[in-house]
Amino acid sequence: MALISRGRWWPILCVGIAVTILAVYILLVASNWIYLGWHDTVYFFSKSRMWERFWLTVWTSTVSTFFSLFIGIPAGYALSRFRFPCRYAIASVIDLPIVVSPAVVGAFLFGITTRFPFDWISEYYGVYIGRNVYGVLLVQFTVTAAFCARLMKASFDIIPVRFESVSRSLGASPMRTFFKVVLPMAKNGIVASMIVVWARAAAEWEGLMLFVGATEGKTDIMPFAIYLDWNGGMMGWVTSMSIVCILMAVSAISAMRLIGGRSNVW
Amino acid sequence: MKTVKYVLFFVIAFCFTLSSQAFGGEKALLFHAGLGQRGALNEVKEIFEKKNPEIKVNFSYKGSGYFIADITRSKQGDLFMPGEEFYLMQAVERGFLTSYNPETDIPAHFVTVIITPAGNPKNIKCIEDFAKPGVRVGLGNPKSCAVGIWHQKTFEKAGIWDKVKKNATLSAKCIPELGNAAQHRAIDGSIVWGTTAVLYLRDVDIIPIEHQYRGIIRLPVGVLKFARYKEEAQQLMDYILSDEGRAIFHKHAYAINSVIPVDKDGFCLDGTTDKDMEYLVNAAKAVKDESFPVNKDTVGALIEEVERQRKTVRAGD
Repeated sequence: MALISRGRWWPILCVGIAVTILAVYILLVASNWIYLGWHDTVYFFSKSRMWERFWLTVWTSTVSTFFSLFIGIPAGYALSRFRFPCRYAIASVIDLPIVVSPAVVGAFLFGITTRFPFDWISEYYGVYIGRNVYGVLLVQFTVTAAFCARLMKASFDIIPVRFESVSRSLGASPMRTFFKVVLPMAKNGIVASMIVVWARAAAEWEGLMLFVGATEGKTDIMPFAIYLDWNGGMMGWVTSMSIVCILMAVSAISAMRLIGGRSNVW
Repeated sequence: MKTVKYVLFFVIAFCFTLSSQAFGGEKALLFHAGLGQRGALNEVKEIFEKKNPEIKVNFSYKGSGYFIADITRSKQGDLFMPGEEFYLMQAVERGFLTSYNPETDIPAHFVTVIITPAGNPKNIKCIEDFAKPGVRVGLGNPKSCAVGIWHQKTFEKAGIWDKVKKNATLSAKCIPELGNAAQHRAIDGSIVWGTTAVLYLRDVDIIPIEHQYRGIIRLPVGVLKFARYKEEAQQLMDYILSDEGRAIFHKHAYAINSVIPVDKDGFCLDGTTDKDMEYLVNAAKAVKDESFPVNKDTVGALIEEVERQRKTVRAGD
């Protein structure tokens, strides 16, 4: 009673809720793993198809994250530091992909890929743009690029402007200041955001469903493959791939913590 | 600054590698196909590519309802095979198909069957049993999947639609949802295509429907007007329509008789599909019971499917 009367019940309640949430998620994974059973776990995890899909997911989302960073870092920096016309309009547009469903992105990509110069490229090289793994990359990139810029803006926002002023006053160019001062300071934030962007890309599915469609072994990244196999009644694949997805997410986040990525996102 | 230059160099080099990989010289067909046909079509692709090494087949598997929007917007694709003639007719109406002959361009048919969770807890034996009080029935939503339309048609023909509607506990958006629900015992019974039922042999019981209520659904295929490789697309379509191609569909529990007598609503008139139904029922027995003999006489063309599902407890391949 003494504990409770001193108001100690509040932290206990909070920790209790956190533990409950954890227990629910562990139960979710465990129950599905029990459903799968040991024999099938060994069977599915030793299948090469599983790991092909795994690598496809990993490399596509890594590449699209990489491209997103190239857009996201400068754009985020600009939005965080500079005053220029339509800044708020751009900032609002950049917030869109967080709010709008990726399905919209998938549907809208048809608009751009069927017009010049893409129709010309498609005709000349005899490929269907967007029906192969590059379509997957395009969807992932479109969905994550703006998202990435948004997260980068947040990472740069928390760095005091003073350091840049000092660097500039000592004679460094704006570019040198950015690479030597701002970027190293924002490192943790960038790494953390990068993981979020990567996870977002790896989980992309709706846009793919509308824009790309699946070819086995070529465009079926994990979340899409889960949907495909759900439709094919292959519950073994569905369950085992879901478990792989969860393990993938857990290890990505742990890796980030080990690297020491920490920002206002995490 | 050096690092930046290096990174930029690598990015540009990477882009070039990607683009050079993208534009290989082979003829790649784009095949818009309904998700449900995945098992059979993957097999078709494998054999067809072996026969014609210069042609590659790329699928864009989606739910059949997605395709009209896709094709309207993208104007891409060589072949089209949705899970119902209805969707193909939409494309025909919009002039997306070069030609479509409803007599010949049907490689296979779906046949409706009753599925129940393994053990058939509510003892469903015929269509009328779905009207019994307390039976949890899974129905398809007629707006989003073809099987929903057939549910309504079948139960209306039997005169029990109102009672069945009261029993409905699930309005599925696609057929696999009904299969999965039966597998997980969330419903006591439903009507699905035989090709869907065959995916859940271990977890469901399959009950053939008597002729007057047994629906026969046509599965069409067509070459699109925008086809980049018309000849090759036609070649693939001819292969699908050939006896060899049809046999592949037969292995996945499609009915491949070129003529199945039906009435004007699409219900079966005679016993053409009886043998296939018998195989399907036996296949479900065979997966559950290891001692059940698996050969051409008991399960017909479904041998591979039975063996695939016997390998694992939770079906995979």
